[in-house]
Amino acid sequence: MSALSVSSQYLSSVLNLPMSQAKSALAAAEVEASTGQYADLGLQLGEKSGYELSLRNQASQLQTLTDANSVAATSLATSQSALTSIARDSQTALQSLATWTSGDTTSAILPNLGASALKSLIASANTAANGQYVFGGINAGAAPLADYFSTPASAAKSAIDAAFQTTFGFPPTDPAAATIPASALQSFLNGPFAAQFQGAGWSANWSAASNTNTSQVIAPGRTIATSTNANQPGFRDLAQAYTMLSEFGGAPFSASARQLVATSASTLIAQGANAMTGAAATMGAAQASVTSANEAMTSQKAILQTELGGLDNADPAQTATKINDLMTQLQTSYQLTARLQKMSLAQYL
Amino acid sequence: MTLSAAYNIVNSSFAANAAQTAVVSKNIANANTAGYSREIANVLTNLYGGADVDSITREANGALRDQVSNATSQAAGQQAIADGLAKLAQTVNDSASASSASGATQNGASPSAMLAKLQNALQTYAASPGNASVGQAAVNAASGLAASLNSASATVQQVRSQADASMGSSVATINSLLNQFAQADKAVVSGLQSGADASSAMDARDKILGQLSQQLGVSTVANQNGSTSIYTDSGVTLYQDAPRTVTFAPTQTLTPGASGGAVVVDGVPITGAGAPMAIHSGALAGLASLRDSIAPKYQAQLDQIAGALVGAFAETDQSATPTQPPLPGLFTFSGATVVPAANAVMGLAAKIQVNANVDPSQGGNVALLRDGGISSPGNPAYTYNTSGATAFSGRIQQLIDQTSASRSFDPAAGLGVSTSLAGYASDSVGWVQGQNQHASDSVAYQDAVATQANAALSNATGVNLDAEMTHMLNLENSYTATAKLLSTVGAMFTALLQAA
Repeated sequence: MSALSVSSQYLSSVLNLPMSQAKSALAAAEVEASTGQYADLGLQLGEKSGYELSLRNQASQLQTLTDANSVAATSLATSQSALTSIARDSQTALQSLATWTSGDTTSAILPNLGASALKSLIASANTAANGQYVFGGINAGAAPLADYFSTPASAAKSAIDAAFQTTFGFPPTDPAAATIPASALQSFLNGPFAAQFQGAGWSANWSAASNTNTSQVIAPGRTIATSTNANQPGFRDLAQAYTMLSEFGGAPFSASARQLVATSASTLIAQGANAMTGAAATMGAAQASVTSANEAMTSQKAILQTELGGLDNADPAQTATKINDLMTQLQTSYQLTARLQKMSLAQYL
Repeated sequence: MTLSAAYNIVNSSFAANAAQTAVVSKNIANANTAGYSREIANVLTNLYGGADVDSITREANGALRDQVSNATSQAAGQQAIADGLAKLAQTVNDSASASSASGATQNGASPSAMLAKLQNALQTYAASPGNASVGQAAVNAASGLAASLNSASATVQQVRSQADASMGSSVATINSLLNQFAQADKAVVSGLQSGADASSAMDARDKILGQLSQQLGVSTVANQNGSTSIYTDSGVTLYQDAPRTVTFAPTQTLTPGASGGAVVVDGVPITGAGAPMAIHSGALAGLASLRDSIAPKYQAQLDQIAGALVGAFAETDQSATPTQPPLPGLFTFSGATVVPAANAVMGLAAKIQVNANVDPSQGGNVALLRDGGISSPGNPAYTYNTSGATAFSGRIQQLIDQTSASRSFDPAAGLGVSTSLAGYASDSVGWVQGQNQHASDSVAYQDAVATQANAALSNATGVNLDAEMTHMLNLENSYTATAKLLSTVGAMFTALLQAA
């Protein structure tokens, strides 16, 4: 026979392979039409799967960082509002001190002023967000400042009482206090008393905070400090000033010594308020960083998603055309098969 | 010419007609038998001027048959590889299951996706180190990653074991086919010697060759006495006058790093790394390549990922003057005493687990993830958070940085040698999917080639019903004419005898 001969077996089976191929292609195209993505992405992308997966991971990392930034934002906002209230209290205290005159010996203005300011300073310093003390540094699980006015007497109060007793030989409430010269009081306030706040006494008796601030990664490769801590100079100065007023403002001192207490306290409050403003500015800068990091990551995510869409998503118009073409092909194949079956000489003999 | 001579011619015509009808009938009967070769009756004029069927030609085509068996072998080999790779690809097939259009969520269960989940969980923990439930989520993500590596490794070994078992059944099939071939071949040789019709035996022989080429690539040589010798595509004798024995010892359970037995023909290994005459095609070659090369390579990649995880999460001596060795931290494996060197532990991916000291479900303490000391709780040498502060995020951040820091990997695993752990994990996904795509494309191509070759062979040697029917009509006419001739000659004889 010539090379043009076609065997009957071939003729009846020639459409089998294209028909089964068209059917599986149609099934895949239907999945693509319903999900909008390629039916088998792994098979579609091949080696590019690894790249696709790393884009996906990158996008989810950005999402995680954005979510985690809300923790930082809460902590920063809480710190900021506590710092604001501390600054307000210090302004009030300064104003009250300005109106006080040294001749006023009887009233308890100074001790009351000191005690209430100290209580509210301690309360503000012990502010918590999400169960974590925002001014605790990394030691956020413990309240940074202990209650000064607790019963029995707090370690801080006992230490100050002991220091006064050691220096002068009697407590500040003793009438003999009137004999203390202003210069001696001055050296006590700058010496043993100041050591309780600026020196080793602070971490021993006052503060449980860590000097290390909490920090957080707010964007890939970008770490910021997300808190300030109760050991920073502002807290020490204000605590020193308020304690000074509370302990010695009502003591039976001479007029010049009492004036010395008020003046020293004013200086310290102004100095402390200044440090607090600095801390608030740092917190504000951190808040701005978080906001800008979130914005940057949102736009990065949008870029990544566009890229992912390009890899994963099937073109709906193309899918629709493909389905139509495949259906036409299948129908033609069915008709052709039926006709080929009829086309046999046996039918005509 | 005499009337009796005309009688003789009529006789031979009937005989030739009957013989040709028999051939046409046989052709029509086998029109749909795959591998049947069409037969043609050769008619010659005999001494008296009549027609005899001199011989029957079998329309065989050796070249096309070899092409078909070659294409069949190639397709079968690729199919075996593609089937195995499709199973391996299931361990990384995140993309197909992840229907999230945003791309921000990750639903996959591949080691790469699970690693990303762990990184994200740690990042969240770093933002709230004092929150034990967030820490718990990070430990859970770590357990998920270890489980993903364990299951991927189990899948690899399952694929290897299945390939090994399939090789066993393939070898059994080959031996049985070779014995059948021996019988058919002997029938052909004796048929040719005795002059009997050997065409059925030849068809049987071709059919067996077709089945054999599914299992392994073969080449054939036709001998002078009509017998056929079979060799593997690498040149090892499978059949020559007598079948050779193909042997293979299956391995019950294949462990990582253990190599299965080789297929041996006549003392010559035809599979395996060191085989001097390794076969190139057929299901057997595909299975051997899957068992000995592709799956172990993926296992090596998984082991590299597991090893890098143990290394990245290891804890080092924090003392001012370190004296203690680094110890496995969050990720460890049973029997671990030190951080293993690369490739030191075979099948590490199957053994990796989360340290019980940090896993609350095993009585551990989540806070150790933040503070350090997972390897040896309470040992000050491995404690990172010396003050016990609850908002200490330094160690967690260090761990996150470790997963994205560049590390060195073994080039034998077939991927980059210097990349990050996360990058290596996603490269591994790309490798598997790439191999899968390549195998799938090859199967489609080889199937098309095999279909074409089969079509060519079928067209050259198969039966066309219309042609046979036409032929039969001819024979019918010829029979009618011969019968007419007989009656005419008979009438003439009658007339002659009456006249006498």
